[in-house]
Order: sequence, then structure tokens, then C-alpha cells
Amino acid sequence: MNNEIIVVAELSDNRILPVTYELIAFARALAAGDSAPVRMIVPGRETHAVARDLADETGLDTIALVGDPLAFYNAETWMTAMAARLAVRKPRYICIAHTSRGCDFAPGLAVRLGASCITAVEGFSRQDGAARFVRKIFNGKIKMDVTPERDTTVLTVLPGAFKVEQKSPRAHLAGSMEVLKIPDHPQKIRTLGVIPAEEQDLDLALADVIVSAGRGIGAEENLELIRRLAGLFSKSAMGCSRTVCDLGWLGYKHQIGLTGKTVAPKLYIACGISGAVQHIAGMRGSKMVVAVNKDPRAAIFQIADIGIVEDLMTFIPLVMDA
Amino acid sequence: MKILVCVKQVLDADGPVRIDASGKWIEEAPAARFRMNRFDEFALEEALRIREGFPGTRIDALSAGPARAAQTVRRALEMGADDGIHLFLDDERYRMPFEIASLIGAYASDRHYDLILAGVMAEDDMQGQVGPMVAEILEYPWATAVMSQKLHKTGDGPDASGTIYVERELEGGLREAFELTLPALLTIQSGINRPRYPALSHVLRARSQALITIPASRPGETDPVSFPAPRERIQSLEEPAPMKTGVILSGNPSEKAEKLRQILQERAFL
Ligand SMILES: Cc1cc2nc3c(=O)[nH]c(=O)nc-3n(C[C@H](O)[C@H](O)[C@H](O)COP(=O)(O)OP(=O)(O)OC[C@H]3O[C@@H](n4cnc5c(N)ncnc54)[C@H](O)[C@@H]3O)c2cc1C
Repeated sequence: MNNEIIVVAELSDNRILPVTYELIAFARALAAGDSAPVRMIVPGRETHAVARDLADETGLDTIALVGDPLAFYNAETWMTAMAARLAVRKPRYICIAHTSRGCDFAPGLAVRLGASCITAVEGFSRQDGAARFVRKIFNGKIKMDVTPERDTTVLTVLPGAFKVEQKSPRAHLAGSMEVLKIPDHPQKIRTLGVIPAEEQDLDLALADVIVSAGRGIGAEENLELIRRLAGLFSKSAMGCSRTVCDLGWLGYKHQIGLTGKTVAPKLYIACGISGAVQHIAGMRGSKMVVAVNKDPRAAIFQIADIGIVEDLMTFIPLVMDA
Repeated sequence: MKILVCVKQVLDADGPVRIDASGKWIEEAPAARFRMNRFDEFALEEALRIREGFPGTRIDALSAGPARAAQTVRRALEMGADDGIHLFLDDERYRMPFEIASLIGAYASDRHYDLILAGVMAEDDMQGQVGPMVAEILEYPWATAVMSQKLHKTGDGPDASGTIYVERELEGGLREAFELTLPALLTIQSGINRPRYPALSHVLRARSQALITIPASRPGETDPVSFPAPRERIQSLEEPAPMKTGVILSGNPSEKAEKLRQILQERAFL
């Protein structure tokens, strides 16, 4: 075993996505304890230039994993291409973004490598020299510390959970860049391309105040209450959790979170929202958060500035009348 | 055609969620309510819709869990699955995703499912690993977070072949499309459909139908389905500190409403 840490870069249109820098920050913090080397893998059809830039900018040794099969993402090609290289390197940790694609290939990669697999990691601590990874369960109500048992561990790191250090100055010493070409073509999955998002409207992006409904509103009719609350503010808009969209109470353009909109209003009022990490990922940047929830232990209170433990059906009318 | 749907029984988190005496998992309070993982309801509903389009399709619903998980298998029968399989775990200990995936993989390995469906993640441990792990164990291609699918099937029986077109969800409302060669595994994202309520006829049938119960062995034993050693270990569970920077308003409901309005006025929101 060696103590190398591999960071798998995530790209879109041959550009490095910001989450990759969070992964680098995470990997560097993880390495610091035992001064482990951190190395990047940049997969894609022709990532030579991007990998070169990344090596210059960060000072990390970088591998451009290239080849025609990597022109478009699919779980099979990503995993096969990476597993072959990683099986020989036997790194200690492989850090992947907990994004839609990262979640798609990471668990399979772990099985192929016989590795431990820990997903939605928000941080880590050290105990007797060993890293314990922190993640949340039950929509954020409980924090879980996990340790790997195998020599190699695949980690998916939650976007937004690990802050990027101040835009670090360009590295003094550029990292090396190595190109690995993969010949294999996918056998069982054919990629057909990305489908653009449906027409967006700008209400949520422009709003100063977002009043957001969760499953706790109980029934579609009760949206009226949320709508009236939003009506108290100028420049306000209605948001919601994914569950509310899945139930058909509001359209998906209102959804806030990892797979919905990312918003940063001056005021965010969460009504009957539990505070699952996927929701918080989309509203973490709000300047002020007010949460109304009848469960005092709901995770939304951990990030709220003002918490109100009440049944929203009785509380919201009182706010309107107060 | 044969479809396997993996359904997990989870503790309903609307009730209290408390850490158990071992400090490593959640207490089963007498009042605890267990139910089918909602993401798996979407997966099962999708299987039922495929069967409507391809008459003759058989749907097996499988749950790996302790004795109480039988309720969730039965719920799947009530929703319309043809057979219910309970991979029986003889204690209530939490199992890591790879352990469960290995059990399901061992069960499914010689049963020639054309399609395996699971929810995108479980609401309790929120790992999202079992689906893709089962696929890799069985050497099936897979796609996770599927928001739409269309099956193209030619022939039936052992010579059957086909593909499935899927769209999976990316961030920011984007999707990406793939064509997978069958057999394949999909994990289903919420919102792909509206899961049905059980029809009375199915509820009645489910009541009299026997489940297929298969004991899952411990490592080293030789029951029909084998267990690997865990690859991760839970060191501790903890309730997060209540609040980092914020305040919880106190008083009776009207006092709280009054306070909230005051704060919002001070900050010039009202
Ligand atoms: C890949 C993936 C992506 C996802 N992306 C997103 C995303 O972008 N956005 C998102 O929101 N979710 C997303 N989710 C889903 C997420 O995991 C949660 O399931 C979801 O956010 C829960 O929604 P909720 O808070 O409305 O419902 P619940 O978790 O059911 O919470 C309801 C809350 O309402 C409270 N409540 C009930 N009744 C009352 C009452 N009368 N008064 C006051 N409070 C009450 C309860 O105490 C509870 O806290 C995603 C999941 C996956 C797997």
C-alpha cells in the first residue's frame, strides 16, 4: 500500500468545474497529517491542455486520462478507464465529487478495486492517526463517523461542504503532467448526449426573499398559506423541496437544492423542510435563514439564524396577523 | 421478461430518531414506524409500468433485512409485484451497502433478470451505493438517478435481447441520455412517476401469498446466500450540535410570531 491520494477532476465542456478545487482542498487537508502525495486524474477525450494548466496552477502531479471513448461521460467507460490505472497505483484514497456523475461511477469503481466506499462525505477528523469520515444520515438528523477497513478507499465529497482556501496563489513549482491513453471502447452503454434544461425563469434568482415549502406543509391546498406569507415581502418568490415537486404540488422550476436551483437570497424562510444535505446544498449561501418546523431536532435548525419550533399551520397565520 | 426490484425497509424519520445503546445505529423504539423507502416506491412503480407495456413480464420484489422487513416485501406485493423475496438477516444490526449488494448479487447471479431496479438512495443511511454495486457484481451496465426510460425488447426467453433508453438527472435541470444493453440495472430518481396506492385486489392476494424467505448467512457459514466482511465500520453516531450561530425563539406561538415580525422589521424586510 502507498499513501497516495488521487483526486478525480470533474469537467464540463473540457473546463474544470469548481467542485474540483473543493476536492483538491479536501485532499490536501487529508494529506497534511502524513504528508501524502496528492495526484490528479483528468478524464476526457483530449484533456492534455486542461491537465497541463491544472498542474501549473496547483503544483500537483496530474494524469490526463485521454481517448475517444472518454469523449462523453458514461459509468462504464469512466470506471473501466480509471480502474485499470488505479488498480496498479493502489492509492490510499480516491476523492470523487458527490455530484450526479460522481455518485454514478464511484460505488462501481470501489467494487471493481475491492475498495472501501464512503459517500456524501462532509469532512473528517483524526483519531490515533486514522482518518474518520463524517457524513449525515436521516436527512441530516444524525452525524455518522466511518472508518475504512480496506487499503484503498473511494470517497465522494459533498459539494459545498469543504471550503476552498483563499484563491491560492499559483504554485511555485508546476506539477508534472503525464498522458495515459485508453484504447478500450464501451461495450454495454452508448452515450447519446446531454439534454438541455427546460426554460428557466428568473424569479428565484432575482428574489430578495424566498419562502420555501417542504413536505411538512401537508397538502397542496396549504401552499396558499406559503404564498400569502411570501406576499408580505417585496421582491419575493416561492421555492420548495424536491419532495414537494415529486408530489406534484409545485413545478420543478421551484425546486431548490443539489438537483434544483442554487439560490442566495437576503432572506430564506424554510417551512416544513427537514434540511437534507441535498436541499441545503442549494440554499447554504442565503444571508439569513428562518426555519419553521415542528420537530426541534430537524437538521434545518443547524443552519438557521432564527428557528421556530411550531406547527406551521398555526404559526404562519399568527405571523400574518401579528 | 423478468424484473427484480430492490426495496428497503426504513425507519420513518418523522418520528423520533435516537441513537441506540451501542452508539452505532438507531434505536428501535416501540412506537417506531417502519415503511418502504420512498425512492424504492418510485422504482417499483416504474417496474409496474414496464409490465403494463410488456405483458407477461414478471416482477420480483426483494428486501434484505431483519424479520420486520417482511412487511415491506408484502407491501410490494400489494402494490403489484408478482413475487416477494425476503433475504432474511437474523439480527437488526446495520449492514454496509457492499454487504447488502453482495447478498443481492449472490441471489440474482443465476436468476437471469433482464432488468434490476432500485431507488436512487435509501432515506435512512443515504449512501446511494447498493444499486450500482449490485450492477458491478453482476457485470450489468447501469445508470443511476434515472428520470425516464424506454425499453426495446426483442424476443423472449433465454434468447431475448434488447436495450433500454434512459435519461439520468444531472445538476441544474440537465439530463443525459444513454442506451444500455440488457440485462441492465437502473436506480430510479424520485419524481419519475407517481407511485400508486395498492389496489384492493392486490391487497387481498398479497395477504394469502407466501413470501420466499432465504436466510442470509454470516461470514464463513454456508447458507444459500453468502456474506462478505464489511469494508467500512461505523465508529460513532452523534446528534449534531443544535445550532451554531442561530437562536430558537421562545414563548408561546403568538409571542414567537410577534418576535419574528420584529426581527424582520429591524432588518427592513417588512
Ligand atoms: C440525488 C438526489 C438529489 C436530490 N436533490 C434534491 C434537491 O435538489 N432539493 C431537495 O430539496 N431535495 C433533494 N433530494 C431529496 C432530499 O434527500 C430529501 O428527500 C428532501 O429534501 C426532503 O424534502 P422535505 O424536507 O420537504 O421533506 P421531509 O424530509 O419529509 O421533511 C418534512 C419536514 O416537515 C416537518 N413538518 C411536518 N409537518 C409539519 C408541520 N405541520 N409544521 C411544521 N413542520 C412540519 C417535519 O418535521 C420534517 O422535518 C435529493 C435526493 C437525491 C437522492
